Amino acid sequence: MFDEEEIVELHHERADFLFGIILTLFGLLILRLFYLQFIRGDILYKYSIENRLRSEVVWAPRGKIISRDNEVLVDNRPRFDAVVTRQYLKKKDETFSKLEKVLNLSREELQKKIRKYRGEPAYRPIILKKNLSNKEIALIETQLEKFPGISVQVSISREYLSEEMGAHLYGYISEINSDQLPKYKKRDNYAYNLGDLVGQAGIEKSFDLDLRGQNGREYVEVDALGRKRKYVNTDNFFSGVEAIKSVPGNNLKITIDKELQELAADLLKEKVGSVVAIDVKTGEIITMLSTPSFKPSSFTRGLDKKYWQSLLNNPLRPLYDKTIQEHYSPGSTFKIITALSGLIEEIVTPYTSFHCNGSMKLGNRTYHCWKERGHGDVSLRKAIRESCNVYFQKIALELDIDVLAQYANLLGFGVKTGISLARETSGLMPSRSWKKKTHGTKWNKGETLSCSIGQSFVLTTTLQLANAYAAISNGGKLMKPILVREVIDAKGKVVKTFEPEVIKNINIEDHILREIRSGLYEVVNHEQGTARRFKDKLVKLAGKTGTTQVVSKSKVEHYEKCEDFPYKYRHNAVFAGFAPYDDPKIAIAAIVEHGCNGGLSAGPVVYNLAKRYLEKYHPNLVSKIK
Amino acid sequence: MSLRKKTLKFDFSLIFCMIGLFLIGIFNLYSITEGQSKSYLVSYQIVWFCLSLSIAFGFSFISSNNLLRYSYWIFFFNILLLILVLVLGKVGMGAQRWIGIGPIRIQPSEFMKLSLIFALARWFSEKSPDQSVSLKETLLPLAFVLPPMFLIYKQPDLGTSLILLIIYSFIIFYRGLHWKSIFKVAGLILLAGILMYSFLLKSYQKKRILTFLNPYEDAKDAGYNAIQSEIAIGSGLFWGKGFNKSSQASLNFLPEKHTDFVFSIFSEEHGFFGSVILIILFALLFYRLISIAKDANRIFDSIFVIGVVAIFFSHIFVNIGMVSGILPIVGLPLPFMSYGGSSLLLFGMCIGFVNSISTSRTIF
Repeated sequence: MFDEEEIVELHHERADFLFGIILTLFGLLILRLFYLQFIRGDILYKYSIENRLRSEVVWAPRGKIISRDNEVLVDNRPRFDAVVTRQYLKKKDETFSKLEKVLNLSREELQKKIRKYRGEPAYRPIILKKNLSNKEIALIETQLEKFPGISVQVSISREYLSEEMGAHLYGYISEINSDQLPKYKKRDNYAYNLGDLVGQAGIEKSFDLDLRGQNGREYVEVDALGRKRKYVNTDNFFSGVEAIKSVPGNNLKITIDKELQELAADLLKEKVGSVVAIDVKTGEIITMLSTPSFKPSSFTRGLDKKYWQSLLNNPLRPLYDKTIQEHYSPGSTFKIITALSGLIEEIVTPYTSFHCNGSMKLGNRTYHCWKERGHGDVSLRKAIRESCNVYFQKIALELDIDVLAQYANLLGFGVKTGISLARETSGLMPSRSWKKKTHGTKWNKGETLSCSIGQSFVLTTTLQLANAYAAISNGGKLMKPILVREVIDAKGKVVKTFEPEVIKNINIEDHILREIRSGLYEVVNHEQGTARRFKDKLVKLAGKTGTTQVVSKSKVEHYEKCEDFPYKYRHNAVFAGFAPYDDPKIAIAAIVEHGCNGGLSAGPVVYNLAKRYLEKYHPNLVSKIK
Repeated sequence: MSLRKKTLKFDFSLIFCMIGLFLIGIFNLYSITEGQSKSYLVSYQIVWFCLSLSIAFGFSFISSNNLLRYSYWIFFFNILLLILVLVLGKVGMGAQRWIGIGPIRIQPSEFMKLSLIFALARWFSEKSPDQSVSLKETLLPLAFVLPPMFLIYKQPDLGTSLILLIIYSFIIFYRGLHWKSIFKVAGLILLAGILMYSFLLKSYQKKRILTFLNPYEDAKDAGYNAIQSEIAIGSGLFWGKGFNKSSQASLNFLPEKHTDFVFSIFSEEHGFFGSVILIILFALLFYRLISIAKDANRIFDSIFVIGVVAIFFSHIFVNIGMVSGILPIVGLPLPFMSYGGSSLLLFGMCIGFVNSISTSRTIF
């Protein structure tokens, strides 16, 4: 047995060996330093003194957005910004006072912009003013020596063609903010920097990852004034410091038809409202418009505060997408859901007839039909055609609200459609449990009667309404609304396609739906129909009008007609329908706020869009020779 | 023995190295942070160093018998702290490496380096220390190494978890592992490394390694940092640009320049000459440490000192290696030079324990 000290002695060889290894590796370090400081020293010295080499981001062009009819809707264009690179900034006061005049900015504003980047490296340029005019560019570029550290930087700005007609769809891009930065880093596993542009709404947001592309990197040499030129690797020292090309973003082919969208904008001009048109077989959205609108390009160009305030303060809420964010009473357009429920539940048959004398009673409350004299004997078709409240309320007497809600849900009411746009609201289809939860009270039958004609709690978005009518027309299949058809890379290769997707199927025999459709056809094409003015043998529009009160009757009863009401008391006008009746292609819903009359205000929007769509995409259906 | 007498027997060359390195470091840190928003770091660093020095002084009086007795307890306590960090990190947001006690943040992973040495030194001093250790005998003590490695890797802190592996390697080498076995183990580690790279590493860690392999290929700033660090060092030439004359420092070309990249600035300002002197100073430290290991009374003490050698060496070599472009940028501080409280305390403890061992050698 060894004693402790002898044991330690046994290890001496290894201890010396370890020391040898350490010295050898230190020698290696010294060798490396020798290489850097002697062999490469002169070149590296030059680089350090002049700070010549700088890496800069090469912005990737963002993908374009292209319409169904192959028109470019959103594109890029160069934008020129005035920037300061603090590293090269000299005679700060003098330079700034000259700059104030050229850029028309106060000293305070200039300093505020710089202060925001206090912790950032001095070689990183800070934007002082975006989107310079030609004159401003010329003033700076021609006298750069007067502005040490100031230069004009090119970046990419978004160009929205006929922007107001698609503002809500396109959304907009703007600089990532400090709240989003950590969230997005995690979400996309991508190292965003402050100043990176990201989609903040609409398609720009939902498809940001597709549109964005990948920024590249470029090495530039800078002279003493901060002017730069591309780095050329003449001495071959930084053997790998070559520019990394940016990868352009993917283009999106969307389902919106530019021409129809423009037509819709024209039809809704000066009105407040929205319209959605859907291909009934695929769920592709052909038109989707909300008015009034805004200018998305102003968000990337450096937002004008006054413009932003005017958008926020406008009572007509231009920033709101009224097709998906706003919900309305569907009014009479909802009656066909009641009819459908009645037929499926066998409360009525197509031949059931009720008598309407202008009102009906439940308990001690009287429910009026809109026609005071009454409709007389009413069949299902006549009820739809002439929008007889009493008929549907008589169905509602036998119909439980939960059953009605169940069918309404199958047609998409009260449920988000899942369209790829943020901030969609789900609307509302009430049920017993819903009322218990939110109001804490029991459901009463009278409310079912109100709901059966699309009033009371029932709320829908324009998109939901159009989608429900699409399902009625295509045999009961509720489609997921599709906004983007294809993602196409810069070389033209399709990288992703979005196929039609059935979200719900109401699964009923088509003859039941056919009864409903016949009723809807008569609304437009029967001499008693509420929308008979759109009777057109070629378009064969079928649909339903709706006129919904926005204030209680007592507030407006002293006026003779709706057009005399104060604007915000006027009724909302709704129209939903599809065409052609016998071979449905397109379903459209339009809501005009305070438009007074569904047929008069919303009707023309739907009719004209349907007509134009058929002429463009199904000319054989509407040609007169046939 | 009286306090005074014992103090007189201190290993002054060891303490001289510590203070000398710190002084160089503090002037360097001053030069780096001067005129910038981080200049307060210099005074913080001085406070930390005083603390570190007192700890070194205090720990010099802990007898190595006590260390031996409590070595496993220290190890397990440290493991608990690591688990706590992980749990707290889960509760809070994202990565967390420290535990806050009042205003002080402690990084248990720093101290794990030392705790591991305690456990390994005890294990290897108790299992037939008179015989060279065989490959088989090195497997069981891996149970000390892998759990903390895993916990620290989870934080995520790849650099520190690799240091644990280096400590382990130094100790089994010291315990006379056969050359043939060494090659086998090296092969195994290589294999493990490859597996880890392909399955375990986070994308940013991979990126760092890739950036190292080809700093010029990276789209983000990491490769650019490596280049800037090389420019800083290379531009120092033989004599350096002089104190406080670094051009790379003032323009923020280097991030983390007060922690990971202190050597780049030192080398820029003091050139090849200064850098070699610094490295010689480090070499002296190792000469002293190895001598203490050789002169130790007991094998436990000796192995412990070798572990400390491993800690210092891995930090110094990896740090200078990475800033000069021969190793990947993993983010390890340079002992006594980089800013950082936890690391200063750790190095102070190391010096204290070793001093205690060195002092006890001459008493009996």
